Amino acid sequence: MHISEGILSGSVLIAGWAGTTAGIAYGLRKTESEKIVRTALISSAFFLASLVNVRIGPSSTHLTLLAPMGLILGYSVFPAVFVALLLQALLFHFGGLLVLGANTFIMGISALSVYILFGKVIRESDKKFLTFTISFIAGALAVMLGAFLVGLFLGLTDGNFLTAAKIIIVAHVPLALIEGIVTGFLISWLKKSSPEVLS
Amino acid sequence: MIQDSFTLTFPHEKFYASRNNFAPESLLVSALVYSLAVSISSNFIPLILVLILPVMIVCVKKFQVSSLLKLNIINLVMIITLALTWPVFLDGVKMGMLITLRLNMIYIVCEYMIFPLGITGIYEALYALRVPEKLRVLIILTLRGIFIMRERLETALISVKLRAPNLKGIMKLKVFASILASVLLQSSSHSERMMQAVILRGGFTGFSQSEREGLKLGDMLLIVSFMLYAAVVMKCNYI
Repeated sequence: MHISEGILSGSVLIAGWAGTTAGIAYGLRKTESEKIVRTALISSAFFLASLVNVRIGPSSTHLTLLAPMGLILGYSVFPAVFVALLLQALLFHFGGLLVLGANTFIMGISALSVYILFGKVIRESDKKFLTFTISFIAGALAVMLGAFLVGLFLGLTDGNFLTAAKIIIVAHVPLALIEGIVTGFLISWLKKSSPEVLS
Repeated sequence: MIQDSFTLTFPHEKFYASRNNFAPESLLVSALVYSLAVSISSNFIPLILVLILPVMIVCVKKFQVSSLLKLNIINLVMIITLALTWPVFLDGVKMGMLITLRLNMIYIVCEYMIFPLGITGIYEALYALRVPEKLRVLIILTLRGIFIMRERLETALISVKLRAPNLKGIMKLKVFASILASVLLQSSSHSERMMQAVILRGGFTGFSQSEREGLKLGDMLLIVSFMLYAAVVMKCNYI
């Protein structure tokens, strides 16, 4: 889901940084000092998820854990995504530093949307199957939203990218299903054993 | 479905800054200004202009061009995709080549100016650029969290593999999710207790750092020259 350096136009890069800066500023204000450790750990989990290979047929991809991040951190998700992507760019050269704004915005908005849409429902649901189903939808939706935003950013750079963008969106469907299943089990487990963790 | 994970070794040498004549913040800002100039270059003249710096780095500083190999193999897939999806095949190839050129130029300059700074150098740069303390502390804690969680996850995954080597499909995903959740809770409660101890002893989450000197003349010249360079490139784009 990372966009590489050199693809996006200057105006799209600046728009990405503007959105990310606003998201980080608001997220930091919402992050209490006591909760900063939990935010860092979720950020670490997001970083480590990129090292877990998931085999899909002949190809392989990696988990993103966007929905669990959003559902656990709420508005603090933007700083967490930013830090994880910064460390990925510095240590493994995934993505890049200039495009970090756009990548953070894409993933941050996806995770935050899932929190806004499903956070309350998941917190209040008392049926195991309902929690799993909603979490599954949240997990799959976060990935598809991220893929859609990647396509949107590419399309805003040059209209001719649209066909490639459609391929990217379709290619993310298997990952969305796997991510949905992992999110479903993960959130159900957390809801059962430690419901106060969910934001 | 999930393959052996965490076999990737961490590049520890990247955590520590190597000695440099310039302040980390001036290197970071200069490289980002250059990257922006490259990203918006689409005509022949600006591209020639932005090529000067990476060519100099490769020739004078004996840059290891082999480090670009992996980057370009991945990019080849992108060029093929663009060529097949662009309205005109050759235009797609041209676009793919342009992106590849930009990517390589940005990578060479970042590899020379930013990556040797290490995490400590980046932290210093962010401090000098007045990035909020919460965000800087988050970077340090996340780095620490990566090691804590990686170790615990690795142990848990090995034990699962030994107890149930034939796990497949959804069951494997279920086990992975529950391991991840329990590691997250364990690490979280442990770290939160540690943080409470730090706060009770009078410390905020941040780490005190002695006041650094302002930018030196050399640093200022570096930033200004990169900005001028970028301005010239941007101007040439509209010629």
